Amino acid sequence: MPSDATTTPRNFQHHEWGPRLISGLAKILCTAAAAVALLLLFVILGYMVWKGIGGLHWSFFTNLPLEEPMGMRNCIVGTIILAAIASLIGVPIGMLCGIYLAEYSPKGWSTAVIRLTLDVLAGTPTILFGVVVYQIVVVRPQNFNGWVGHISLWAHRVQSWLGITNGYSGWAGGLALALIMVPIIARATEEMLRLVPLAHREASAGLGASKAETLWRVVLPTAKAGIITGIMLAIARVAGETAPLFFTAFGNDTMVYNPNRQMPSLTEQIYNYSQSDDPHWRAQAWTASLVLVSMVLVFSAAVRIATRKRRIRTH
Amino acid sequence: MSEPTIRSPIASGSNPWHRFFRGVLDRLTIGMSMGGVIMMFGILLLIFAVLLNGAWMAIGHIGWKFFTTSTWNPVPGMDKYGVLAFAYGTAVTTLIALLLAVPLSIGCAVFITRIAPQWLAGPVSFLVELLAAIPSVVYGLWGAFVMSPWLQTHFEMWMWKALRNIKWIPVGHYPGHRTEYFPANLVHGGPSGSDFLAGGLILTIMILPIITAITRDVLQQFPEELEQGAYGLGATWWQTTRLALTYCRVGIFGAAVLGMARAIGETMAVVMVIGNTDRISSSLFAGGQTMAGVFVNEFLEADHPIYLSAMMYVALTLLVSALLTNLAARVLLNRIAPA
Repeated sequence: MPSDATTTPRNFQHHEWGPRLISGLAKILCTAAAAVALLLLFVILGYMVWKGIGGLHWSFFTNLPLEEPMGMRNCIVGTIILAAIASLIGVPIGMLCGIYLAEYSPKGWSTAVIRLTLDVLAGTPTILFGVVVYQIVVVRPQNFNGWVGHISLWAHRVQSWLGITNGYSGWAGGLALALIMVPIIARATEEMLRLVPLAHREASAGLGASKAETLWRVVLPTAKAGIITGIMLAIARVAGETAPLFFTAFGNDTMVYNPNRQMPSLTEQIYNYSQSDDPHWRAQAWTASLVLVSMVLVFSAAVRIATRKRRIRTH
Repeated sequence: MSEPTIRSPIASGSNPWHRFFRGVLDRLTIGMSMGGVIMMFGILLLIFAVLLNGAWMAIGHIGWKFFTTSTWNPVPGMDKYGVLAFAYGTAVTTLIALLLAVPLSIGCAVFITRIAPQWLAGPVSFLVELLAAIPSVVYGLWGAFVMSPWLQTHFEMWMWKALRNIKWIPVGHYPGHRTEYFPANLVHGGPSGSDFLAGGLILTIMILPIITAITRDVLQQFPEELEQGAYGLGATWWQTTRLALTYCRVGIFGAAVLGMARAIGETMAVVMVIGNTDRISSSLFAGGQTMAGVFVNEFLEADHPIYLSAMMYVALTLLVSALLTNLAARVLLNRIAPA
């Protein structure tokens, strides 16, 4: 009968066989649960590697979907461009929110309201970000009436001033992904800033620095590594998003660098290929999954190993 | 964390230019960070505004009937819209996922915190969390091409053979007046592979890591004194573990609710395995549709105003149900771990 020797000396156990049997069974069941979880991970990853490794030639990274042999260069580049646009918009907003929350927000209801808002944003199904961006960026602003119409019209003016066109585009896809990033980065920034010891701030203030100087010169440099970790985890997260891209970036079979055009992405191409009956296309979907998962897993595993001591809440 | 280098700002204190720039920096920093917060509020408002504005026409035309009818007929001129079939799909898949994932996750968390030796606990915990890093479209791909065929030929076949003739409780009538019995109705129609069960199973795998991670964290807060006390009173390992689970019940409940929120909002993986038919059936082997999934299938085909508006009404329903679940989870989890 297995027993926890470190906490219960065997000599002192005078249990009936009933409770001991139940205890042993429970231990076996819990171990089995962990085994099932690991088994699922290995089955999923193993199957993906088995199915996908065959298509992993140089041509996959250098060719386009309509060329022979098929490749996904445009999708890989598209995913990177979308993630870059998302970071460009999402990181500053998220970080500023986190800074305000950790440094400036008065304790009490304002902190509570901001936190609540972040939780609400983090809990919004990601496909709805796609729907919203579709409505305000992709379709013409005439679709709206009332004050939302006014907002939409102004968004349209800003958009044209920035040189962003209506219709499916990399900008729209990146914006949808940026909205997903904001709450993740805000919470990571806040937690990292709160980890900076009070003594550092007091020392800085004691030297005569103002609050903002302390923030820029002491607090942010100290928390830098943790914040970068949070940003990278957020990027890994949005690189795997599919649903919001359907209505925003839409996908493309050609090589696209211009974010004003329809932008392909790995995730969306995986879905498109998975819906076909052509075995070559399905094989491409598996290979694309392998590439995407390797990118995401290597990214997040490296980040987690590098920051094992600092816990970043990802859920 | 690296040691910060502090350049003494004292010297600049006496210089009026530096004092001026310091004031500007202070105001700029607080202004910009407030701007970030305002933008975040703006995003949330925008989501609600856009969805409400889009759904306004459908709310006016359909009203509350939207939640009590399951007909979804977008043919121009017919235009009958009810969310019930999609809500049912979301509810059933989420329920299956919770029923399976919660015990499994608690088992995993107990293994990590209370059974595994130190050298094993870390890697197991890490690997289970890795499940959360796999993109949902990859789960969908695996589900559609590996899990569904296997379900159809093995698991569901076995379940069908076992349950199809067990008729304990009459629960209703099929069209054609044959009586519907429980539990035989659960397997009515025979194995299909693309059904509620497949959707629920793929969600199980997807919410497993999040429930495990939170349950593990709360179990680690179980006080050492209570554990020693329980052992001292002669409790077995399982009796002590039960005490720990009872002690942490609020946190575990919160973890389950958070998993539920995830399951409600999950789109791609479910769409790829659930069969995508919009009807309500008590059979686990019937195809269905979820509220999030209907967008992938139909949003870009919504070509006339009332259809698009009804889609936005679905979006609003999805948003509100996901948010309420999510907030409930946060309330529960904040109760046990303040800040």
